[in-house]
Amino acid sequence: MALNPQYEAIGKGFVQQYYAFFDDPTQRQNLVNMYNVELSFMTFEGVQLQGSVKIMEKLNALTFQKINRIITAVDSQPMFDGGVLINVLGRLQTDEDLPHAYVQTFVLKPIEGSFFVQHDIFRLVLHDTI
Amino acid sequence: MEYDYLIKFLALGDSGVGKTSFLYQYTDGLFNSRFISTVGIDFREKRLIYQAKGRNYKIHLQLWDTAGQERFRSLTTAFYRDAMGFLLLFDLTNEQSFLEIRNWIEQLRIHAYCETPDIILCGNKVDMEDKRIVAEWRAREFAEKHGLPYLETSAATGQNVTRAIDTLLERVMVRMETAVDRSMLPGRRGRPKDLNDPDLNAQEDKNCASC
Repeated sequence: MALNPQYEAIGKGFVQQYYAFFDDPTQRQNLVNMYNVELSFMTFEGVQLQGSVKIMEKLNALTFQKINRIITAVDSQPMFDGGVLINVLGRLQTDEDLPHAYVQTFVLKPIEGSFFVQHDIFRLVLHDTI
Repeated sequence: MEYDYLIKFLALGDSGVGKTSFLYQYTDGLFNSRFISTVGIDFREKRLIYQAKGRNYKIHLQLWDTAGQERFRSLTTAFYRDAMGFLLLFDLTNEQSFLEIRNWIEQLRIHAYCETPDIILCGNKVDMEDKRIVAEWRAREFAEKHGLPYLETSAATGQNVTRAIDTLLERVMVRMETAVDRSMLPGRRGRPKDLNDPDLNAQEDKNCASC
């Protein structure tokens, strides 16, 4: 499959839609449609999950009510199977907690004229030492 | 600034139980708060005087907060490093936060400098009496079973906040004095270790003497 020339717009558009769902508790359930039942991997703060069911269990177990998010950069690349690799650098604040920087990487896999999230890796930018 | 002892406390407990408000109540207006954003900790500092055996000791107290990182992951061993005392908080209006205390104690046993560190258990938000779910007797029974002092506190009104920290500080200081005294006992120093001496083993195992 050829490289997708729209990779930049796809990356930005995906990120916007994904976080619009994620950050609204009444909409978060819609994220299930972005993952495949079997063919999606997530690594959330080092915890490995496979499949949309496990992934949604993890996302639903997060305890905050409110989330404020600022996206600093969205970097995308076309992949040789027609997919898109996306790296997000941002900051988020949950409820009244202090804001934290984070990095999130997605791989969008093309399927029948659309995409699903094949890989999703999330980390807060927190170090172990001062 | 000089001091006799630098003491580090950690505030632990589920998100939303009031850890940050508790530390804020204890230190607000008078003392520094520093947030190290890339390390995910917030700490506040306070100077106080501790009296023991007719002597005054200048204490530099550091109070560490989790800055909300526990919402995303378990706290790492690095977070617990060098902490000598632990403020373990739950929310009296939230059953789950009380049930989770058992897990927090387990985490402490794994990550703290020794298996039985000094902990004070605080049932917070006692000002919201009409919303209380955890009865005082249940919390007391639990605390007694685990050998922890228990106080009902309010970060909103300040009730028992200072008392909780003073109680913890006293326990930590007593432990330190005991540890120092032990190493200075006549006949101990330079003597080959008696591996059958349970007291000595308990001390050596976890490096309590160096805390």
